Amino acid sequence: MNCDDSRIYLPAYLDDELDIAESLRIQKHLTECRDCRQAQDEQLALRSALRDPDLYAYPSADFSKRIEAAVRQAAKEEARSQRSSWLESLRLGSFRWFPAAAALVIVATIGVLLVINSVRSSHEQVIASAVLAGHIRSLQPGHLIDVPSSDRHTVKPWFQGKLDFSPPVPDLSELGWTLVGGRLDYVDKQPVAVLVYQRRMHNINVFLWPNHGSADDTIREEDAQGYQILHWNGAETTYWVVSDLNNAELLEFARALRGH
Amino acid sequence: MTSNEKLRRFEEQISPHLKSAYNLARWLTRSHEDAEDIVQEAFLRAFSAFESFRGEDAKPWLLTIVRNTSMTWLKRNRNAGATIGFEEALEDPIERSPDPEEGLLISCDREQVRQALEQLPSDFRQAVILREMEDLSYKEISATTGVPIGTVMSRLSRGRDWLRRILATPHPVKREGGAGLR
Ligand SMILES: [Zn+2]
Repeated sequence: MNCDDSRIYLPAYLDDELDIAESLRIQKHLTECRDCRQAQDEQLALRSALRDPDLYAYPSADFSKRIEAAVRQAAKEEARSQRSSWLESLRLGSFRWFPAAAALVIVATIGVLLVINSVRSSHEQVIASAVLAGHIRSLQPGHLIDVPSSDRHTVKPWFQGKLDFSPPVPDLSELGWTLVGGRLDYVDKQPVAVLVYQRRMHNINVFLWPNHGSADDTIREEDAQGYQILHWNGAETTYWVVSDLNNAELLEFARALRGH
Repeated sequence: MTSNEKLRRFEEQISPHLKSAYNLARWLTRSHEDAEDIVQEAFLRAFSAFESFRGEDAKPWLLTIVRNTSMTWLKRNRNAGATIGFEEALEDPIERSPDPEEGLLISCDREQVRQALEQLPSDFRQAVILREMEDLSYKEISATTGVPIGTVMSRLSRGRDWLRRILATPHPVKREGGAGLR
């Protein structure tokens, strides 16, 4: 390396942006060349002058509090507007997944306001609502399971003839997730498979159907007051997972399921 | 995410970078009041855009919003005198000496460094602040300022040369045109 190259590479070298081979070449030149060493010293002197902590502009404590309050206020307003838009859509009967009357009954029975946040499209919103409604319905007596069995070899064949696809039914018992059965449900008017797993007293509903779109197995989260909803699009199957289990454990479950 | 969950995550991931946001805005506007207004606006924008945050590095993500908010703000308030001095600063105020020793940094006086940095033209100042004070990588500076990495490197190197030369001059200097940063 000559001096011209060395001067060109010097800033990137000092900024730690060179790969090892280039770094070694310039280091070698620096040990051999006094002029370039001087250039290095000047750049380092400027750096330490600019990194003087007293030049850093710190926000005041009052200002930090003001920002915190402003953000919390924004969060509150956002929650309010989402709640009202949900009520609005309910009132207009735009939930196509099951009759508005039934929806009202369930809302009244369960007494929860379901606020679906952060959904990425109105289609996903419809599905998220449907999946959540399915989960809530399943919690009523006699609705959870059509085929009670912890044996995947019983559950999987049961779907044959009832669906035009064959859902994967993984055994996750070694990881602490107990299969308790399966049932048929409807999402957006389409019949889908539901697998029910349990941990402690918590039911986990896994809604699945063939994925005809592109695959993206990033697990996405929706949260509807008290319920967690996770979903991803596997290569062949779309998964929606609903439970009242805590977020961390449900994510663990989803990863286990996705890994199978 | 519920609003509560969103707020919790925002406060966990984004809020700790408030000081970087303020530092950047302060150095871009050179005004305490303006920096506070910009940071507040940027934080509210960041909160409403938080769903698009995919867990990448939070600091450059936030600083991009702060930088864009600052630029919009500076444009809007150009007549208010906020940017006076930019054009002058584009010219190199240094009387070039034939003496190669002139390149030595002789001033480490903090106020002189501060003044020099404030006079540095905006594009160069942004790159220097993000690199030296916020410790961003070239790639992160490129993303934050919306220019290619090659441009980041050239802004850093020319900005630093300019600062070295201005700080190597014993007295604040009368202007002489010529070797500008443009
Ligand atoms: Zn050399």
